[in-house]
Amino acid sequence: MMGLTPYLILSAILLVLGLAIVISKRNAIAMLIGVEFILNAAALNLVAFSRHGIGGLSGQTAALFVIVLAAAEAVVALAIFLNFYHTIATVDIDQGDQLKG
Amino acid sequence: MLETVIFFFLAGLAVAAGVAILLSTSIVRMAYWLITMLVAVGGLYFLMGADFVGVIQILVYVGGVAVLLVFGVMLTSRQLAPKLRPGRGEVLWLAIVGFVLLEALTLSVLHTRWQQNAMAPGNSVGEIGRNLLGEFLGPFELVSVLLLVAMLGAAYLARPKVPTQGPQHTKGTMVS
Repeated sequence: MMGLTPYLILSAILLVLGLAIVISKRNAIAMLIGVEFILNAAALNLVAFSRHGIGGLSGQTAALFVIVLAAAEAVVALAIFLNFYHTIATVDIDQGDQLKG
Repeated sequence: MLETVIFFFLAGLAVAAGVAILLSTSIVRMAYWLITMLVAVGGLYFLMGADFVGVIQILVYVGGVAVLLVFGVMLTSRQLAPKLRPGRGEVLWLAIVGFVLLEALTLSVLHTRWQQNAMAPGNSVGEIGRNLLGEFLGPFELVSVLLLVAMLGAAYLARPKVPTQGPQHTKGTMVS
């Protein structure tokens, strides 16, 4: 019988990996992949608390909300990146500095 | 015992996918490793008895988001895909920040006395449905509005840009 701790540590590792991907990649779509990592770490945390902690099935319900929000975020972000690509013909986020004041 | 073996297999798969994405430079391979991580996390949901969340994870993520990402990759990166290598200083800062954050999280997890109350895995779908329409009714309605807004916004942002009086005007002149 496994406890809560391995899931929480795995979630922390996934969170740090996602953060590292978001920081280190220059490609906008790769940053989106990192965001998916972070959101999955959060959802894994919620489901682990629902299974091994207290709170019952509220954690699983909240994990469903996390998944829905991640899907909506991916859709809007990809639409923005497509616009970005049509405007300056690259997905390198360092090139997107036209709005600087 | 079997649960432990499966947990470490799936957890190792997820972490290996993350490291592979971090080290990879090809965006298509990154999308592949992302799918691997999503399936591994879905397997962990099944392992925890959260069968409904696991099914939704596979359906929405692997069936929707990952395919969407692959389409995004194909629509944007022809040969103009930028080189994805960060600089040396960036790698150093990244290692420091990541290590400190990981240490802080791990130590706080290990040194907290969690109030553990293992719930027996069972049929969770009906209870989740009652949660969605009971305790979580407000967030549920908000999420439905958010999905509508996201759909409209994405369709508006991604539509092809037609000039306001371009094609029809020229076609009219050509006919006449």
